[in-house]
Amino acid sequence: MSATILVVDDSLTVRMDLAEAFEAAGYHALPCASLADARAVIARTRIDLAILDVLLPDGDGVDLLFELKSSPAGASTPVLMLSTEAEVKDRIRALKTGADEYVGKPYDASYVVAKARELLRGGRRGTEAAAATILVVDDSETYREALRRALEGAGYAVILAASGEEGLRMAADRRPSALVVDGHMPGLDGTSVIRRVRLDAALRGLPCLMLTGSDDGGAELRALDAGADAFVRKDEDLEVIIAKLTAALRRPAIASRGDTVSLTGPRKILAVDDSPTYLQALATALRSEGYEVILATSGDEALELLAIQPVDCVLLDLVMPGLGGKETCARIKAAPVIRDTPLIMLTALDDRSAMLEGLGAGADDFISKASDFDVLKARVRAQIRRKQSEDEHRRIREELLRSELDASEARGARLVAETKASLAEELARKNAELEAFSYSVSHDLRAPLRSIDGFSQALLEDYASALDAQGREYLQRVRGAAQRMGELIDDLLELSRVGREKLRRESARLSEIAQAVADELRRKEPERDVTVDVRPTLVAQADPRLLRVVFDNLLGNAWKFTSKTSRGHIEVGSEERNGQSVYFVRDNGAGFDMAHAGKLFSPFQRLHSTAAFPGTGIGLATVHRIIDRHGGTVWADSSVGAGTTIFFTLPAPKPPKKGGAS
Amino acid sequence: VSRNGIILLVEDQQDDIDLTLRAFKKNSLVNEIVLARDGEEACDYLFARGVHAGRDATKDPELVLLDLKLPKLDGLGVLRALRANARTCRTPVVVLTSSREDRDVVSSYDLGANSFVRKPVDFTEFIEAARQLGLYWLMLNQNP
Repeated sequence: MSATILVVDDSLTVRMDLAEAFEAAGYHALPCASLADARAVIARTRIDLAILDVLLPDGDGVDLLFELKSSPAGASTPVLMLSTEAEVKDRIRALKTGADEYVGKPYDASYVVAKARELLRGGRRGTEAAAATILVVDDSETYREALRRALEGAGYAVILAASGEEGLRMAADRRPSALVVDGHMPGLDGTSVIRRVRLDAALRGLPCLMLTGSDDGGAELRALDAGADAFVRKDEDLEVIIAKLTAALRRPAIASRGDTVSLTGPRKILAVDDSPTYLQALATALRSEGYEVILATSGDEALELLAIQPVDCVLLDLVMPGLGGKETCARIKAAPVIRDTPLIMLTALDDRSAMLEGLGAGADDFISKASDFDVLKARVRAQIRRKQSEDEHRRIREELLRSELDASEARGARLVAETKASLAEELARKNAELEAFSYSVSHDLRAPLRSIDGFSQALLEDYASALDAQGREYLQRVRGAAQRMGELIDDLLELSRVGREKLRRESARLSEIAQAVADELRRKEPERDVTVDVRPTLVAQADPRLLRVVFDNLLGNAWKFTSKTSRGHIEVGSEERNGQSVYFVRDNGAGFDMAHAGKLFSPFQRLHSTAAFPGTGIGLATVHRIIDRHGGTVWADSSVGAGTTIFFTLPAPKPPKKGGAS
Repeated sequence: VSRNGIILLVEDQQDDIDLTLRAFKKNSLVNEIVLARDGEEACDYLFARGVHAGRDATKDPELVLLDLKLPKLDGLGVLRALRANARTCRTPVVVLTSSREDRDVVSSYDLGANSFVRKPVDFTEFIEAARQLGLYWLMLNQNP
């Protein structure tokens, strides 16, 4: 389906001219003479692109542009403004309102069509180029038509150009699959066309076939030298051309990037000079080369325009009133992005110091106004080519850097993952080792103790009569020591176990756990004069098995240290301190001197003699380790004879961070 | 049902063997004790094979006292084999061990042990385990 182009212009000539050009290029054109007409068309038809004049009989084209760009349906429709190049201000206003392109009058219809095609391609890339398209460039209409018929008969799509210049523009614009060019043409000849194609990053992969008259001896050499893929004499059969073309197309062409803008494609040049006469002459010369030329009469205008529309090359007069060429150049070269635009300084003064001054300000080239325009055009072409090749190199460099960066990031990530894995493996191995060690301690260290205790008991029972009281007392000591050592081993294993086991937090009912421990103590020594008060409903997010160990130790201690107190009292409860729950186990037992409180939670530290209160000194170290693993703290308050309180906290685990407030 | 009162004691430590046999004697238990010093020998006796091939079929044990730490096949291996065999799958087994490790207790019960007694062999504890297993006859099977 061909794209629909809306053309709004009050001049009948312009409407007819553009409509004809678009129809010829295969588009559907809808010409309108006024804003009212245009609005009516937009209301009933879907348009793919609009070309708007600024000055219309019933209003301003920029208003319609604004309407179009702010409507949901029209926002993505490309708009090309076409207006008399009166002032740079108009161009700036239109571009700021959202115009995709701005072409000054007098215009070249083929340039406008090419720009339109470029804008349309931006929206629907890759929908064209289904069948191989062959571009035929020949000045002889008879031969062109004959070749077209033959190629179309062979299944190719064909586009035609009558001159080298037109051929290059079409190559850039239509991106054909192959080029067939006549060697002998007025103006740009075949060799030059091929050479230019080979210099253009976007086109250089294009297979080129050169045709020539049979009398031209050196043409073949010149053509191949310029980079032609094949060479055919015009007197040969058309079949030969088709065969060679098919062969050239079979060869894997260097993939050209669709988004690389071609050298010979539509290019914008900003010319800045305070002399309107010179500007006009310059514009005419450059337009004949197919460039679009934007004219600015001062440095300020140039800077304002560059800020909103990038151009492909700047031609800048060195001597201007107001902001001079040197200062303008320096500002352009200081601006990010824009600074890469090729800049050629122009001057009437043809002297060495002026040249040095201009180049010193950052200009890429320098040319005298007295020079021939052909020289100027060649310099412009060279500068644009240099910029293109620099862009391409930068792109390649950036891609290379990016791939290196990606590779090194991947390496880094792999290293981190490997290190993590090996650390986790090491930890698992150490844990397994420790567990195996504990297991074997628990089995093997206790076996000899069992023998010591068991045989001491056998002696006491079976040979009691052979021993005196002293002997029996010694044997009792042996048994006592063996049993204490058994307890020590058990307690040490427990200390190691609570540090190693996985913490399993759940809603632990502390009151129930404490009550169960108290009941067990009571069952073992029902004769003890102790009351135990456990406050009901104590709950915490903690590991219940480990909290059982905590209360075993804390209540066990309280029970033990109240053994010499008449009317012993043990209390389990909690209180609020600084907004968090502090749990405690309080007794009115023996107590200790707070001067020694520092050693309380280290293993093997005892504040009482084993004779007065038996124990291994490991219990509180175990409690400390368990509370520590829960992220809490444990501390004591005590005084000799007035009892001891052990406090501890069990902070709620930090919740994982969430996105928003609930 | 004829009862032979045979107890298979699977234990490799001589001290533990002596202390266990003494405790039996102290409590006037005259049950016949068959001794196996490693897991393999225990299985050989239980399944009447290997060194015990062709043993008297009426001498199947009525109770197994099984240590966990054994040479060759360990106690849990014996337990597994014993529970997998139709001849022995209902034989009461009391596991005796030095350790208090949870995993020993859990795996023993998982594999079908009837009771678990921690060494040193506190005889009162053993009698309690037997009572819970309903093995009064073992204690009553005494010489006049």
